[in-house]
Amino acid sequence: MRDMVPSATRNSFTELRRGVLEHCVLAVVGDGEAYAFDIVQALADSGELLTSEGTIYPLLSRLRRDGLVTTTWRESDAGPPRRYYRLTDGGRRVLDDFRRDWTRFRDSADGLLGTARNERNADGR
Amino acid sequence: MDADALVDTYIARLESEAARLPSDRRADLVTEVRAHIATAIHAAGRRDEATVRTILDRLGEPTEIVAADADMAGPPAGDPITPGSSIERRQGWGAIEIAAVLLMTVGAVLLPVIGPLIGLVVAWQSARWSRRAKTVLTVVVLAIFVAVPIVGLFAWMPGGGSAS
Repeated sequence: MRDMVPSATRNSFTELRRGVLEHCVLAVVGDGEAYAFDIVQALADSGELLTSEGTIYPLLSRLRRDGLVTTTWRESDAGPPRRYYRLTDGGRRVLDDFRRDWTRFRDSADGLLGTARNERNADGR
Repeated sequence: MDADALVDTYIARLESEAARLPSDRRADLVTEVRAHIATAIHAAGRRDEATVRTILDRLGEPTEIVAADADMAGPPAGDPITPGSSIERRQGWGAIEIAAVLLMTVGAVLLPVIGPLIGLVVAWQSARWSRRAKTVLTVVVLAIFVAVPIVGLFAWMPGGGSAS
């Protein structure tokens, strides 16, 4: 009966995930430096956001191309040199903007869906 | 299958899927995934088959990873149905175009009606000519090389064509 779920619902989460994921990656990198593998771990630990870990690499590559992150290669004793990511000023700005937009968006949706976390009234308003 | 063979097979599949990406993207992706696998194995502290299988499962199918990469790059320029590199879509004349024109001109003489019709079919196979050009060509060819000879044929036939 799982196939009775309209595919529109599943598709809307694919799109949503894609839009949110890159900003979560920026947030995970944060103010420091992160190696791709660590970023993957953080996202996987968070639960729902990363379907297949390998898809992080195209995403990171796109963030590089868009100038939201810069990378540095460092030698590692655990094998090949590692690529470390840090945010650019542009990346920081995009992240801040998204945090604000996301909060507004989430609150609006919660209000309408009745899924707000802190129930002030019984009907979620 | 032992751990190394598993990894090699996976990387081979990734490289094969990634053949459709631009070469710099392909090289980057393969390097990064290799490094990921090496790091994951190191982090797990073990190199047995089960561990490696888990790592590769979590990485996901090469098709999915490459699809995500193609996705990130945005839609390809030009008509995706056109074979060959869409960026190098050439103008001008190739074998198909030349054959079409020959069929429609010389073919009209040597093989009336049929020659130009075949030429039209060939013309529509062209990847270089626009839809609009092909439509115009079709109208012109049908009018001159098909309709006129057929009308002419009826006019010459005994008792046919003109009112008696």
